[in-house]
Amino acid sequence: MLAYSSLSLDNLEIKEEAEKALRKECIDVPAYKAIEAAHPVNFYTPNPVIKIGLFILTAVIVCFSLGLLTLISFDMLRSEKGFASLCVFVGLACYGVLEIFIREKKLFRAGVDDALLWSAAGLLVCSVTYLYDGYSSPISWCFFTFAITLLATLRFADMVMAGVSFLALLGLAFTLLIKLGPVAKTVIPFAIMVLSLAVYAIGRSWMKQYAFRHYNWCLTVVSVLSLLTLYLAGNYYVVRELSNTMFDLQLEEGQSIPGALFFWIYTTVIPLVYLYLGIRKKDAILLRTGMILLAAIVFTIRYYHSVMPLETAMVLGGLVLTTGAWALIRYLKTHPHGFTYVEPDEPSLADKLKVESLIIAQTYTPGAHTPSNTTDFGGGTGGGGGASGDY
Amino acid sequence: MNVKVFEKLHAEGLLSDASLESVKTAEANRLFSLHWEIKTLLYLGVLLLSGGLGILIYKNIDTIGHQVILLIIGVICAGCFSYCIRQKAPFSWQKVNSPNAFFDYALLLGCLTFVTFIGYLQFQYTAFGTAYGLATVIPLVVLSVSAYYFDHLGVLSMAVTNLAAWMGIAVTPFQLLSANDFSSDRIIYTGVALGIILLLLALISAKKNLKKHFAFTYQNFGAHILFIACIAGMCMYEATYLLWFLFMAVVGAYVYLQAFKEGSFYFVLITVLYGYVGVSIVVTRLLIRSNDIDGIYTGLLYMIGSAIGVIVLLIKLNKKIKHARV
Repeated sequence: MLAYSSLSLDNLEIKEEAEKALRKECIDVPAYKAIEAAHPVNFYTPNPVIKIGLFILTAVIVCFSLGLLTLISFDMLRSEKGFASLCVFVGLACYGVLEIFIREKKLFRAGVDDALLWSAAGLLVCSVTYLYDGYSSPISWCFFTFAITLLATLRFADMVMAGVSFLALLGLAFTLLIKLGPVAKTVIPFAIMVLSLAVYAIGRSWMKQYAFRHYNWCLTVVSVLSLLTLYLAGNYYVVRELSNTMFDLQLEEGQSIPGALFFWIYTTVIPLVYLYLGIRKKDAILLRTGMILLAAIVFTIRYYHSVMPLETAMVLGGLVLTTGAWALIRYLKTHPHGFTYVEPDEPSLADKLKVESLIIAQTYTPGAHTPSNTTDFGGGTGGGGGASGDY
Repeated sequence: MNVKVFEKLHAEGLLSDASLESVKTAEANRLFSLHWEIKTLLYLGVLLLSGGLGILIYKNIDTIGHQVILLIIGVICAGCFSYCIRQKAPFSWQKVNSPNAFFDYALLLGCLTFVTFIGYLQFQYTAFGTAYGLATVIPLVVLSVSAYYFDHLGVLSMAVTNLAAWMGIAVTPFQLLSANDFSSDRIIYTGVALGIILLLLALISAKKNLKKHFAFTYQNFGAHILFIACIAGMCMYEATYLLWFLFMAVVGAYVYLQAFKEGSFYFVLITVLYGYVGVSIVVTRLLIRSNDIDGIYTGLLYMIGSAIGVIVLLIKLNKKIKHARV
């Protein structure tokens, strides 16, 4: 099923674990070298930064190849169907090249293979859906997206494919349930909740199983997404606005939906449950998702009820966050219950590229601008590299 | 660490008993780190606080009066800076680690409020006269001094952004392309000047060992600005685009050599990619001259072939740097 050799993937994990142990000085360098020699990894994985370059360039090649083929066969294509068939052909070609590269060149997460996989999946999904029913109904969209990305996930254990596949599954459930008619609007939120919860439970239990060890990252992505959708399915804002548009409820401002109390409680309680469980189980996935969703509570409440003016809320929120964080740091000094503020010792790419300082620069606008003689700021072009000279 | 993996290695005889034991104890004593979570909260808090205060003041300007407002901002700013001065480790031209987690954010809040303070003074009282330059120079000086004095990369990035604003261009990462009008001569030449200054600063930091870890930030901003200015020059000037291309080649060679010295994949990548865009512009310009449908075919074939070539080049370079590092 997997395109990669299972032995190499196992060896890769062993090597990564050994690297961690070496960093923590649990094993010495000769032992590490011995482990590395006994478990050779024959994958080609370049440096993550180079990988981004390879990805961009491969995407460029695919785009221009498609353009060239379209130009050459312009007379034969004639209709949209013809173009869709060409897309199928290019998608299959991408897939074929991908398989060959993986078998012959042993590419593994090298940028080239990711780009080929994504373009193959994208081209196939769009063109197959079009060829199937000619006008691309949402149901067939979701179905083909789900089917193709699921197959891609199984074959290549790609995280993005896994995530898209899960979302397409939810989309499929949604589009099918809408057909139920008026009952749908009560059923859908709960159906999505149940589906998300089920996927989360299955995903977490598979993560522990040996047979699925190579899919761990895919399952992580799916778990995070399912936690998010589990929450969003019952979030008051999402439910109200979505049922208002989808089922034409024509709600007035201030009017609320049936079962509003339930959804309000759900909106505010679920993130706290995530946080609580995350801290209890020391589970980074639950904890971080809970943190993100705390913001969702604030936004949802503020959207319907202006408890206080924005600026007061910002100042108060800022005060609470800073003092809270300060208190937490002091509290964590003695490592209570196995928690710590000490930085994890895994070196990360974000660290090396000084991402934090870039974020600060991004959120900062210099106070007083120098007025320029030319008043043409703001409408700039990207340099205008010409149709084919730039990308 | 996955203890099972190590047990397997132990069974294969690749791991001594002592190593296995130390792995097991390390794993049993492993702490759950909340480092990034708390850092994110702190940063959000500082942002909300400085943003909220700004709006609060703006809205209540009629009731509380300008002096009071200035006083409030001033007090917060002074409080932050005095906290930082009291807490800081002694100054050194080497990397100085921040004394505690709160320090970095207090400094950030101090710097943000200081910029507001100066901006407010200027807006309300035109304290620095109508020569607007001065109102930007003061934050610039304070930010740069704080960045070096307290050793803070974020504040350094703010200082670089401010330097660029003073010279008249926006270098905020996501607005670099959208907020600048690269078709104006002034912006292009300013970009070149700013890029060269930043690259020089990077060189000085690294060579003279003055806060060596700041070199990356300078080099990063400088290289991007310079390359983009060159590309803009190549697109804008009909007559001299080859000169711009030559200039870009010189810059690229410099950044490339520096990157190799440092073993930095990142700078090698951006040099190769910008260089590729530059070459492609020259080729496109030559093809447009031919004025012929064959030109389009050649262009497409060129893009496909050259992209494959660059991929092979990148893979080769990746190997080369790895060896250079070992």
